[in-house]
Amino acid sequence: MVLYNTELQKALEKIKAENAKTVCIQLPDGMKPLANEIQATIEKETSARVLIWLGSNFGACDMPLGLDRLGVDLVISWGHNKFRKEVGW
Amino acid sequence: MVKVLFLDAPFTGKVELSQDTISYLKEKQYKKIALYGSVQFCNQLDKVHEQLKELNIEFITSKPKRAQIVSQLLGCDNFQDSFNVDLTEVDAYLYIGDGKFHPLALVYAQKDSSKWKEVICNDPISGQMLLLDWKHIEKILRKYKASLKKFLTVDTVGVIVTIKPGQEQFKPSLVLEKKYPDKKFYYFIDNNVSFDQLENFPFVKIWVNTACPRVGFDDQEKFLKGVLNMNDAYQAVELLSKESILTRV
Repeated sequence: MVLYNTELQKALEKIKAENAKTVCIQLPDGMKPLANEIQATIEKETSARVLIWLGSNFGACDMPLGLDRLGVDLVISWGHNKFRKEVGW
Repeated sequence: MVKVLFLDAPFTGKVELSQDTISYLKEKQYKKIALYGSVQFCNQLDKVHEQLKELNIEFITSKPKRAQIVSQLLGCDNFQDSFNVDLTEVDAYLYIGDGKFHPLALVYAQKDSSKWKEVICNDPISGQMLLLDWKHIEKILRKYKASLKKFLTVDTVGVIVTIKPGQEQFKPSLVLEKKYPDKKFYYFIDNNVSFDQLENFPFVKIWVNTACPRVGFDDQEKFLKGVLNMNDAYQAVELLSKESILTRV
């Protein structure tokens, strides 16, 4: 049973709208086993190369750094939404 | 600048109160509760609202400080003032979602309160109910209280600052230097907190965490010298001198 909707249509629309050539996909631990299926769909429907973020995904506060050096245009992060940082807590 | 798309990954099943939860709420005769859920569930609470109405239970909810939508609970909204609403009148908290990480924020948020309210977790995936109370964090709070006391007595402090833009709190952490001019503060920069590196700095007598506030609680065991969160270090004397769950443990 698939517990969570991967909302792949939204992901594909964004890749196409941004004309992204290299996309980093970041998944929470529970969804990491789906990375190959997500990559397969993106590769089938777009011409983007997919890089899978290996590391942590604690929340929207935990975005991968330094991806611009690899030419990544777009990060798609599952399981979280925008985060409002509180300075000084 | 790399663009970012967040996808909530909503739960695909039914989001509703289980029979266990309904029976428990009836048994406790709660009249007013605070309702929150993690992002996979909090956009689908219509059925839960209906069920609470049928049970004649009033609910309060809000958009907490760090969240993006109403009723969303993040693990870092674990402060007494996180919820942007007065919750003093509620009898208990009701959390909709799986796991303990998010609902424990509701437990930690009560550490500075004098009165405890239980957290009822309704998991739509397993259909199970779980109750969280301050006993779940008693051991952590006991050590945390010890760290607060230790912090006030030591002269060298290691402040951990993460470079993640969503977490970095370097400038806010500098207020500690002004508040405690007799202490020497060393600042340590990292991406994820490298717990295995902490013992390489033996001159540090206690650690202050400025990264995710949950590190100061959930990862406490990994800090052999003790750890406390930045905001609590700032108000250590006040926290230790008032009647609260923290001082009671």
